[in-house]
Amino acid sequence: MTVAGSYAPVFCWQGFVYLVWGDRSGRVGISHNPGLDRTFWLQRGYRQFSLLTPPLPLGTAAFLCDWLQRRLPLKGEPPLQQAAALVNRGRLKLGLPPWGAPANTLPEPRPAPAAAELALVQKNLAGRILWREEIALALAEHKGAVNTPLEDLLHWLYLAGEVTLLPGVGYDSNGEPRCRRCGQASRLLKVACAACGSGDCLVCEGCLAMGQARSCRPLYARPCQAQAARGRPTLDTRPRLNFALTPAQVDAYREAESFVFQGKEKECLLWAACGAGKTEVACGAIAAALSRGRNVLYACPRREVIRELEVRLTSAWPHLRILALYGGSPSKFGAADLILATTHQALRFYRRFDLVILDEVDAFPLSEDPMLYYAVARARREDGQTLFLTATPPPGLVARLRRRQVKVIYLPARHHGHPLPVPEILRDPFLSRPGAKRLPRSLVNCLDLTLAEEVQLIIFVPAVKLVEEVVAWLLQERPGPDPNRPWVQGCFAAHPRRDEIIAAFRREEFPVLVTTTVMERGITIPRLNVLVLYADEERVFTANTLIQMAGRAGRSPAYPSGRVWFLASRISPAMAGARRQIQEFNDLARRRGYLLVREK
Amino acid sequence: MLLSWLFPRGKACAWCGRPVHQGFFCTSCRQQLQAWQQHYHPCLYCGRLLPLGKQAVCSQCREELPPFYKARAVGPYQGLLKEMIWALKYQGRRSLANPLGRLLAGVVVRELGPGRPDLVIPVPLTSTRLRVRTFNQAELLALALGQELGLPVNGEVMFRVRETAPQVNLSRRSRWQNLGGAFQVTAPGKITGRRLLLVDDVLTTGATASACTNALLAAGAAGVAVITLATGIENLPCFSP
Repeated sequence: MTVAGSYAPVFCWQGFVYLVWGDRSGRVGISHNPGLDRTFWLQRGYRQFSLLTPPLPLGTAAFLCDWLQRRLPLKGEPPLQQAAALVNRGRLKLGLPPWGAPANTLPEPRPAPAAAELALVQKNLAGRILWREEIALALAEHKGAVNTPLEDLLHWLYLAGEVTLLPGVGYDSNGEPRCRRCGQASRLLKVACAACGSGDCLVCEGCLAMGQARSCRPLYARPCQAQAARGRPTLDTRPRLNFALTPAQVDAYREAESFVFQGKEKECLLWAACGAGKTEVACGAIAAALSRGRNVLYACPRREVIRELEVRLTSAWPHLRILALYGGSPSKFGAADLILATTHQALRFYRRFDLVILDEVDAFPLSEDPMLYYAVARARREDGQTLFLTATPPPGLVARLRRRQVKVIYLPARHHGHPLPVPEILRDPFLSRPGAKRLPRSLVNCLDLTLAEEVQLIIFVPAVKLVEEVVAWLLQERPGPDPNRPWVQGCFAAHPRRDEIIAAFRREEFPVLVTTTVMERGITIPRLNVLVLYADEERVFTANTLIQMAGRAGRSPAYPSGRVWFLASRISPAMAGARRQIQEFNDLARRRGYLLVREK
Repeated sequence: MLLSWLFPRGKACAWCGRPVHQGFFCTSCRQQLQAWQQHYHPCLYCGRLLPLGKQAVCSQCREELPPFYKARAVGPYQGLLKEMIWALKYQGRRSLANPLGRLLAGVVVRELGPGRPDLVIPVPLTSTRLRVRTFNQAELLALALGQELGLPVNGEVMFRVRETAPQVNLSRRSRWQNLGGAFQVTAPGKITGRRLLLVDDVLTTGATASACTNALLAAGAAGVAVITLATGIENLPCFSP
């Protein structure tokens, strides 16, 4: 994100479309500095050089270049008139106003950049897709300095076919605009741009958080070398886990290893029960890939998960260089053997990774943002593999799994060997709303059971406004001994005291927390029961959401038999589905002999 | 395709994307933008916000009246409005300019009285800063406001003569010094004897608006009113970015 008060110049690519001709054939090209292109082509025997347009934003120039290449006969004599007519047709195709005639004077050839500087830039761009300013930062981070303007070095590499030059927002062959950074076409605006002076510059609002992508801003991309060319490492890649894996984890670990070693399938889903230790199993796949010298990315939508993983994986591989990338991370371009990144940060990688591990594949914001899937898919090499990790795969992934397009590894049991708590469905056809005279009998029972066992309870509700209402309702019916220290508190995503309340709940300062689905992930309380109130609100409580919420209970060996209640006026398909899936996981765990304790 | 034709999606809130029945913002965002009205009212002259029930004129205006005859804003520079201004100005979320410009138009109609301005003028940026940011947020707001109220907009009447240090974290006095003589009117003929409406995103100490107003009045303008998206609250430090 651009920082207030920072006015560093952003490189604006404005350049020419040109025709260059040799003895028998020609080429169409684009350049912000045609003198450089003249040098490049003169070295290759192309002597006749003609500019076809005045300076244009990169998006327009790149479209016209492609348009001409597909339509212009590039053999025999240079078809200058035909080229001028085609440029005009291309302009009309984009709906742009007429522009002036191209300059008659040709730019003088410029000296070719130094090979050492080219190699340095090439090395720093490998496996990435970056703005010019980001490449400058990468060079600075690696203490590399170049004397030639960076855009000239990059352009030379582009001419040599080493680097791909893309407009931030470009056009496809039909003239339809698309953001080349995030891949989306839905949030593009045509605006007047003071940088390029065009009144038709396209800007993408879909990925603004990562900096402005626009037609006149170039993206430079370079895929990573193939794994064979990189060679095998000499590092010991076995993870050092400071605990023994359970039988369920050992089986899944081996399957994950063989998924990578065999390399037959492109995609695999590790379908794990909540709290079953899927990260430890993913270590099997990571170790297998690293042992073969493959590049690995561990991506997750949430920054907190990446930061926590950095600590865990650093202790598992103390001798590896692990780089964690998230908004505000200290290093963005450091060298690493293993990269952990939020899915937003994956937007900066290009055909780099042989194995991408995508954690919490169904979690917000990944679940609602096609841009992030696009980012992760582009970060993987074309022949690379993806391992999805989740307890609740999205329906699309489950459908592909059923069609056998995706391999699946099950991890159905938790490390303590107790079955997953199966939700108890409490149906109350006359379930009252907050504010009614009396608390529902079933709700009172759940509260009493919880308080009698001296464990904690999370009550999930389907709407933010219900949080305050339910808290007030409970306190009105049961005020508690000390009004200054309420026994029940509420929080939601935008709650001003959210972190404070969660911390107090973790410290067991009060027994009951009312919250929304914001707490369905990432919280582990040792002795906890879960109650989902109005669980039949299907717009909010999908089967996956219910499974995640149920997964908060029974995680710790201190209280593995935590209870889960779904309280509703009817049994929704989502409630039944969630219960069925949890039972199926318990059945599978029992059949495979992973359970140490008989299911109740 | 067929489904989207049969069940067309309604309008979405320009900020949060939730469904909208009327206007550009959803009920929740609108309520957040208007919540300040329960606690504050604007200073009669500079429009800075004062607690309800207290004096009608802020301490700054009691000391010295600003050169513009009135300034008003959509709300205080905090909360959702601050986030929106940040997104427009620094992230470049230009799709917000039109909805926010419409909000400005509403304030002009309600607050600036029956005297219709003759010309809308955005506070200019220097050419360097304009190239870096690629747009002038005040100009985008002025264009949306002008379109809504049917007023002519001219962003070329005045320009910023020299670079000034970014105003972040500068005191009131430093801002005045920073902006002295920074603006110049290029076409006095277009403003002579006319009532002008100056548009900016944030009014903090009023230094920028006053410097522009002085330049416009010196060039022959009949009077200048100021409209901004956000303003400060009396006794609360408000440093615009």
